[in-house]
Amino acid sequence: MPGMAPIRRKALPALLGVPVVLWQLAFFVLPLVFLVVITFWKVRNFKLEPAFDLGNWEKVLTSTPFQRALVYTGEVALIATILSMLLAFPAAHAIALRLSDKARARWIAFLIIPVFSSYILKVYAWQVVLSPGGVLNVAFGALGLPQADLLGGMLSLHIGLLTLTLPVVTLILTFALMGMDKTLIEAARNLGASRAQVLLQVTLPAIKPGLGLAAVTAFLMAFGDYASPVFLTGSNPPTLSILIVDTVKSGSQWPRASVIGVSMLAILALAFVLVQLATAKREVQR
Amino acid sequence: MTAVFRNGYLALLALFILTPMAVIVIFSFDANRFPTLPWGGFTLAWHREALADAMIVSAIRNSIIVSLSTAVIATTLGFCAAYLDYRYAFFGKRSLMLVIAIPPAVPVTILGMAMLAAMSRTPMFGTPFGIIVCHAAIAVSFAMALIRLRLGDLGPDLEQAAWNLGASRWTGLTQVVIPFCRPSLIAAFCLSAAVSFDEFMVAWFVGGVNETLSVRVFNLLLGQVNPKINAIGTLVLMTSIVLVALAQAFARIGRTKEPNP
Repeated sequence: MPGMAPIRRKALPALLGVPVVLWQLAFFVLPLVFLVVITFWKVRNFKLEPAFDLGNWEKVLTSTPFQRALVYTGEVALIATILSMLLAFPAAHAIALRLSDKARARWIAFLIIPVFSSYILKVYAWQVVLSPGGVLNVAFGALGLPQADLLGGMLSLHIGLLTLTLPVVTLILTFALMGMDKTLIEAARNLGASRAQVLLQVTLPAIKPGLGLAAVTAFLMAFGDYASPVFLTGSNPPTLSILIVDTVKSGSQWPRASVIGVSMLAILALAFVLVQLATAKREVQR
Repeated sequence: MTAVFRNGYLALLALFILTPMAVIVIFSFDANRFPTLPWGGFTLAWHREALADAMIVSAIRNSIIVSLSTAVIATTLGFCAAYLDYRYAFFGKRSLMLVIAIPPAVPVTILGMAMLAAMSRTPMFGTPFGIIVCHAAIAVSFAMALIRLRLGDLGPDLEQAAWNLGASRWTGLTQVVIPFCRPSLIAAFCLSAAVSFDEFMVAWFVGGVNETLSVRVFNLLLGQVNPKINAIGTLVLMTSIVLVALAQAFARIGRTKEPNP
């Protein structure tokens, strides 16, 4: 039946497409949309009721704990981003441009493993290493060094966050550097540019989109992280993620938790768009 | 950068990545109750105690069910999406690819809260099934990426040749495309399983009393120092590492050698 062929031809993409479309709509898009809707709902007698109430937004956005947590979380995420970019770049540069093909492949494989393996356990391990009676302090004592209060401050928090961000950022920068045109570097060197000039005027501009992607990824991961602030600073001061979990787990005030969540998403989306605009490669005019 | 400085720096990075993993594994065999120095002697007591813990055993069972089911669904959906992207142009394709790609980028606290809000209105709430559907929506992103990479090496000719020889679209798909994609399907399966196995926030929110192993670990961490944590942590860590290593090994098959022009 030749007439059937075109129908079947259209049936296949529909057969393949409909389940995945429905799945992502039902279990990803819908929950997020519902989250936005809930921000306007009311809590009455511990029950969530549909309403159109802007009061939740007003209450949360003007509340001091939220504002403090927002500033603190933003600061922490920004510092984590800068730290991970600065620490990852030399490693990525070495891996992408200096190592042999074999060693590079091995490093990439090595860096992918920690991205998918038990971040909370690693945060706990840092707790074990850094705590007052922990591994590092015992080692300090054995060496005759004074005991250090390593846990609970910015140092421990950023060690935890780097555990999360450093492998990913190093990978993104490595791929960016692998993808750049290496003849540009050779040409600049042949024309007498110093190493610093090559780095600042050739290499970094060439991987600008990669730098942007790496920075946004680091910011996103640190901004939304829950485990490091909980286990390495004892939730003090609380981050936005901690506020969300506490509010949700206490069972009441869903609308306010949703406001915090939606605000965080808005900030992350804004950060993404701004960095995209700043680092997008301009079309070369010919 | 001189070679010495370069290698020293890379060694430090490796040390930073390996230290926390090594701490978990090493102290799981330490006879001391509190993980610190000096070493209290080698023991398997904590491993034995962990595996005798009924809550841990039931969490292991839940984790196996959840991560395997997630892997099956995410790999299937991921293949469909990757093939659609590779073969067809249609209205809304960019949006579809976006809703598949984005979920891992949304902070899990927010995603968990949103999924809980939606799930708590369905009978799926508090069941392993609820965790599975949410995990699949996240893991499909990785599955699709791995499979799409492989499809990029297929080239348009092979499938076309099958059609010209009289194969239907369906036959072409099942006899040409899927066999070609097999290594990446296995890779996607392993990586999706790893993503699900490792995820605790969504599973904690949506799963109710049905704890997966990652949720059990998280709840143990919230409590008192417990030497069982290192023992069960070693199991969790090794499982994740094996799954990701397998995913990488299968994703490499057929690549690097002959890049298709």
